[in-house]
Amino acid sequence: MPGVILENLSGRKLFVLVSVLMVLLVACFLIGGLVAPPPSNAEHFIAIKCFDYDNTSWFYTRGEGRCNEYNLHYHIDIENDQIADKVVFVFQIPTPKDNIILDYSRWQQNLIGVLSFEIMYDGVFEMPNDVLLTMDVKLGYRNRGDKDYDWKLYASSTVERHLDCSIGTKKKEYNYNCSIVPLFELGSLHHDYYLLNIRFPVDQKTQINTNLGDLEDLGLVAINQNGGFTVVWLILKTTFFPLIILTMMWFWNRVHQLKRSPVLLEYMILSLGGTLTLLNAPFEWLTLYFDLPFMPLFIDIRQGIFYASLLSFWLVFAGEHLMINDPQPHHLSIYVKHLSAVAIGCISLLIFDLFEKGSQVTNPFYSIWVTSLGTNLALTFIICAGISASIYFIFLCYMIWKVFCNINVKRSSLPSMSSVRRLHYEGIIYRFKFLMLATLTCAAMTVIGFILDQVSDGRWKWDEHIEIEYTSAFLTGVYGMWNIYILALIILYSPSHKQWPSDVDLISSAGDEIELSRISANEPNEISLLTSLAKKVSGD
Amino acid sequence: MWSRILRVAMLTALWGLGDLQVTTTVKPGRGKGSNWWGIAKAGEPNNLIPRSPGMVYMDPSVLTNLRKKQKRLVRENPGVFLAVSKGANMAIQECQHQFKNRRWNCSTRNFFRGKNLFGKIVDKGCRETAFIYAITSAAVTHAVARGCSEGSIESCTCDYSHQGRGTHVPPNAVTGIRDWEWGGCSDNIGFGYKFSREFVDAGEKGRNVREKMNLHNNEAGRAHVASEMRQECKCHGMSGSCTTRTCWMRLPNFRVVGDNLKDKFDGASRILVTNAESETGKGLSRRKRNRYKSNLLPHNPEHKPPGSMDLVYMDPSPPFCEKNPQLGILGTSGRMCNETSIGLDGCDLMCCSRGYRTQEMIVIERCGCTFQWCCEVKCNICRIKKNIHTCL
Repeated sequence: MPGVILENLSGRKLFVLVSVLMVLLVACFLIGGLVAPPPSNAEHFIAIKCFDYDNTSWFYTRGEGRCNEYNLHYHIDIENDQIADKVVFVFQIPTPKDNIILDYSRWQQNLIGVLSFEIMYDGVFEMPNDVLLTMDVKLGYRNRGDKDYDWKLYASSTVERHLDCSIGTKKKEYNYNCSIVPLFELGSLHHDYYLLNIRFPVDQKTQINTNLGDLEDLGLVAINQNGGFTVVWLILKTTFFPLIILTMMWFWNRVHQLKRSPVLLEYMILSLGGTLTLLNAPFEWLTLYFDLPFMPLFIDIRQGIFYASLLSFWLVFAGEHLMINDPQPHHLSIYVKHLSAVAIGCISLLIFDLFEKGSQVTNPFYSIWVTSLGTNLALTFIICAGISASIYFIFLCYMIWKVFCNINVKRSSLPSMSSVRRLHYEGIIYRFKFLMLATLTCAAMTVIGFILDQVSDGRWKWDEHIEIEYTSAFLTGVYGMWNIYILALIILYSPSHKQWPSDVDLISSAGDEIELSRISANEPNEISLLTSLAKKVSGD
Repeated sequence: MWSRILRVAMLTALWGLGDLQVTTTVKPGRGKGSNWWGIAKAGEPNNLIPRSPGMVYMDPSVLTNLRKKQKRLVRENPGVFLAVSKGANMAIQECQHQFKNRRWNCSTRNFFRGKNLFGKIVDKGCRETAFIYAITSAAVTHAVARGCSEGSIESCTCDYSHQGRGTHVPPNAVTGIRDWEWGGCSDNIGFGYKFSREFVDAGEKGRNVREKMNLHNNEAGRAHVASEMRQECKCHGMSGSCTTRTCWMRLPNFRVVGDNLKDKFDGASRILVTNAESETGKGLSRRKRNRYKSNLLPHNPEHKPPGSMDLVYMDPSPPFCEKNPQLGILGTSGRMCNETSIGLDGCDLMCCSRGYRTQEMIVIERCGCTFQWCCEVKCNICRIKKNIHTCL
């Protein structure tokens, strides 16, 4: 086997390939920055309060049969019953704009609901810092064409949440600063209109909601993905999906043309391509037609599988360039010890995600963070994942360091070789380092981009007319970058079919145009020249 | 019990009818934009009369107090009337809260005698007037933005232009989805600001220095609402991580706006009466463009010119100690004061050294309350002996 394409590619061809890929990368960044809107949109709604006079099933604030607004400050005493149980906070979303009755579109993908509390300090009763709230929540939906009163139940639940409030100026009639309280996550935004009815029942005996202060207003922040972003994202995915599949087919075809069975690294590259294809597969198109509440869980799992295979690949890649004097063909089984950190990390995150997002498939109000047991459990899994991630990276760095040590050792014996061969070997080492560098660059760009995203407020002004939507650009850019990285990996590490010139031919070919080549190809199970280089040198 | 409610409701309706005979005269001195304040008395919220959210419940007489442009705005924006009415009430409450310990306590007058809501004090361009204009304008901004969030105003606009996409790639061409679907919308404060400018500033042309003062103070009130908007964020990336984060602006509590405006009241700048008059001659054509860009000069040339958040006034405040019917000042006689305080609510200052009367009274107070978040406070009734001081 004559080696991989990377080693046999001339400097110019490599430059052209890298340039094309860079242009593709910039295109990914710009499509996010110039075409797409911000990834998600948050709108702040304020509840209208209604009063439950006769056990009505749904309270809504617009349309025929709407409820009457109730003012908490001008209440009338209804002697026999508790008023607090009968006050209903109503959110009917989305609200009309520009005299148009808006409705949610399936392009908007998902909906996250967060509550914000406006609680007044009445000068007498001070709320404790951490209040356990109990809410009766009902979420309903309606579609275009339905009657105004025709709300259907989506989910209902009695939910508990922790509310942290503090007060800056402890003066009467000043408001507390309260933390936001996550309420629900809808994995699919399948219907047009949603209705949320919330009550805060009070029970003195069981101490339910007795610590809640003077609740003036209830706000709901509804966060949904922007339709425009979904369009751009899906276009990106749908473009990369066949591209990666075709490249993989081309790669596997080349591997099979060889007169040997595929080696471990080739399997790893194929599995990496496979998981990327799974990540690219634009299943989101289905959400435009079907109600798929498990979509967020599925997206998380797909992403997790991809990360797992990418991390495993790096480890195996470093390992394959390390064990140079082992004539046996390698199997994944010898990396079990190395990969256990990846497995443990990913499995703990998967379990955490299955608990949180998996439960939200059936109950959108579920949150693992409410009970102390759940919080501890979730933290255990997350810390576990964090520890395995650190172990993994320390181990990876150690292996890469060893590879570089090996290269340096071999390089020190280079001066004893002929000058042509030396030039040749140095080129190969350079190209190996080049790929290492590419990986590091991609990782660094991801991290820097992420930090910039956190620091900036999401929008960059280029000049008067051009604004770059930075957050979207970052997301599409990073997504495109890792696709291109793997695309380049598959292409450059596919086996080369070139017939190799002899040493004499090498000398005759001139400077820049030298097709870097291998000297001998006697071991069929070798993939990279580096390993054979090491053998060669040790043979010398 | 229901019969009782009905009776009260009928009484309220009758009281409402009494409002019909409202006639208003516009005092030339004060600028004409202030009569809308009367809306405050139109839709006083109560639960006796069932009212749907956003429904315009009012007696038509209130509309006669509005200018033509204001009437048009109310007509074109269903639901906005209620918001403005709530806003006006909020402004009164906030003003009275901020000034409860001062000689002038932001008292409002009985509306249906055809007088201005805050009395004749607004005829003078003093600090108090500046505060009234600022707080009412701020309250309308706040209440309209709130109305948008509640969904009770259906005409709230979205500013899609800042998304900048319409010019480059028309979204409709790609997939046929609408602007809101494409890029979302959350610009309620923007609509509140614009509406307040249209509605509150309707009568102020900025032609004389008083109108410029009103415009400046109205604008300052709005700026205080906008500057107190607070950003909040939520992370919702993979497994709840912060890889994707979405932020939004939260409407401030109006008390904070009131506090800030009160601070500006204490440090308000007095402006030169003459400077703006000289400008009036040139260019009625440029009036509209320059309405918010008049450069008001400070009364004392060594002071800085007032900033956009500062309150401005032109006349010194009249003394509020004695009753002055010409200015509609009630005087502090009969006001309660605090014997131990050395501040403005202390008996010395409040009573303007006229002295005060001390009475021992038995006050009925609620005590030992058990509290619930809403509505219900179960209390015992306690009788406490208290010394009450009232100004002579």
